[in-house]
Amino acid sequence: MNRKFFTVWVFFIVNLRRLFRDRLALFFTFLFPLIFLFVFGSLNSGSKSVSLSVAIINESHSKFAAQFVKQSESSSQKLLKVDKDVKTFKDANEKMGRGELDATIELPPSFGEVNNASIYPSGQAIVHYTQNNEQAAQTLVSVLQAQFQSINTKLVKSDTPFTVISKQNNERSLSAFDYTFTGLLGFSILGAGIFGPMNVFPELKKMGILRRLHTTPLRVWQYFLANMFGNAVTGLMSIAVMFVVAMTVFHLKVVGNYFELALFLAFGIIVILGIGLALGGWAKNERQAAPLGNIIVFPMMFLSGTFFPRFLMPHWLQGITTFMPLTPIIDGARLIATEGKSLLDLGPQLGVMAVWLVIVYAIAFRVFRWE
Amino acid sequence: MAEIILKVQNLVKTYGDRNVVDGISFEVQKGEVFGILGPNGAGKTTTLEMIETLRPIDGGTATIAGINVAEKPYEIRSIIGVQPQSPGFQDKTKLTELITLFAAAYGEKVDPKKFLDDVNLGDKADSYVENLSGGQKQRFSIVAALVHSPKVFFLDEPTTGLDPQARRNLWKLIEEVRDRGISVILTTHYMDEAEVLCDRIAIMDNGKIIALDTPKKLIKDLLARGFSKDQHVEQANLEDVFIDMTGKGLHA
Repeated sequence: MNRKFFTVWVFFIVNLRRLFRDRLALFFTFLFPLIFLFVFGSLNSGSKSVSLSVAIINESHSKFAAQFVKQSESSSQKLLKVDKDVKTFKDANEKMGRGELDATIELPPSFGEVNNASIYPSGQAIVHYTQNNEQAAQTLVSVLQAQFQSINTKLVKSDTPFTVISKQNNERSLSAFDYTFTGLLGFSILGAGIFGPMNVFPELKKMGILRRLHTTPLRVWQYFLANMFGNAVTGLMSIAVMFVVAMTVFHLKVVGNYFELALFLAFGIIVILGIGLALGGWAKNERQAAPLGNIIVFPMMFLSGTFFPRFLMPHWLQGITTFMPLTPIIDGARLIATEGKSLLDLGPQLGVMAVWLVIVYAIAFRVFRWE
Repeated sequence: MAEIILKVQNLVKTYGDRNVVDGISFEVQKGEVFGILGPNGAGKTTTLEMIETLRPIDGGTATIAGINVAEKPYEIRSIIGVQPQSPGFQDKTKLTELITLFAAAYGEKVDPKKFLDDVNLGDKADSYVENLSGGQKQRFSIVAALVHSPKVFFLDEPTTGLDPQARRNLWKLIEEVRDRGISVILTTHYMDEAEVLCDRIAIMDNGKIIALDTPKKLIKDLLARGFSKDQHVEQANLEDVFIDMTGKGLHA
């Protein structure tokens, strides 16, 4: 082996071994992203369909009303989540005010009674809602209308010339969790690539460890390369754990090629690590690194699609954030993992990443200090 | 005439408008222990750091084995060993791994165990540095700086903070290094250390060398100038008592 790369290899191996003896580092590498995965995963993986939280205030004593309430509360009814504890308007208004309920269905005293003139029951339900819940209320109204419609046709024979039915397309679409998961991959890459070196390097400088290395013929590029290998390997291991959890617990379906995905993510890790190396390599101490680090990390955290998908942003903001270093990594990971694209399809993403790679490492080499 | 390994000519370091190292010159021979003495702020450490390629040289030249320090820093680094003032090593790393790491920094592959045995740390091979005593740490630091068999070995205040036994042990170690033909350049605050260890010493003050000779000659010169101590000098001092009672051997 070339002597220069032998050096890189030994630094990589020794530091990798060291990492596995460091409980704190292990926690931040493996467990920390999993905690986020569980939190955001359970927030987003619930049933994909809309569900409305409602209360039913039944003021009628009719059989029909009682049956209607019972059916709405039954578990087979997925669309409505009925809060059985709410019995009065006072409770209902309070809960709606706090946003715990989307709307309240009132069944007035005459609801479901059989009028003198007819042979079937009739009545009008009233949907109550607060200012902020107009959409939910409208949804609820159409849901109820559909339900009443089917009841009506049973009671009164009538022709229905126009109807509509829904049919599921066979193609898979992205779920909220697909976005959440690749966003969290980005978050974990950000944490390991930037917060890692940002904290470790100033510490190494404070203890004179880098200074000691500076007295040897070790080159900065060798040291950086050893760090890049190390970060790519531990990063991929951490991401692999996240994938296993996401697939077993949250039913993530990976359709892309794992090898291409690993290759792409390793590249992403190295790009982001460059930012960390520049920050940590430049900073003389932790106090210097932290403020600048936060200024760089927070915009990426919130604008690159880590926690909220970018398509929710206004157009102009989407345009700008396309060119942030983390954005193509998150997008690319999603395109490969859940949409089955190959590296060849990711030209724009790889292009943006390559430009950032050059920029951040040019800065990192320039500002690096051994002490 | 012995071979000159290190040659320093009119070396200058300027901070602001002050020369902290002010045009000093000296030569060090192969296999010699050369001491740089002086009060704090005299410029000892700065001088070492310039020769070690850690700080830019603002004036003058330094050459080691004929290689110009300022022009070829990487070549210089591969033929010198450096023991900084307070050596730091990464934690949670075994001594053997650290030796492997340092050798690798020089592009070399070594048997770490052999090096550790040399300084009586063989049984600590699998320990971490943070679990070593002060004296063990110094011995380890020295052996880590010698993994590539350098021609010149720099030590910056190597015995500061060590107990008398550990100091004497370290002196022995430094003599062994010298006996291998490696030139040793050290700074110290301890006159007894300089007297025992150094073949020649340079005394620095305010960035200048104000005296340069063998310790014996410097003392003789002083006496020749009519100097005499007020008090009668005892044949032994308190340190001799301490060493006599607690033994010369290493305690840890």
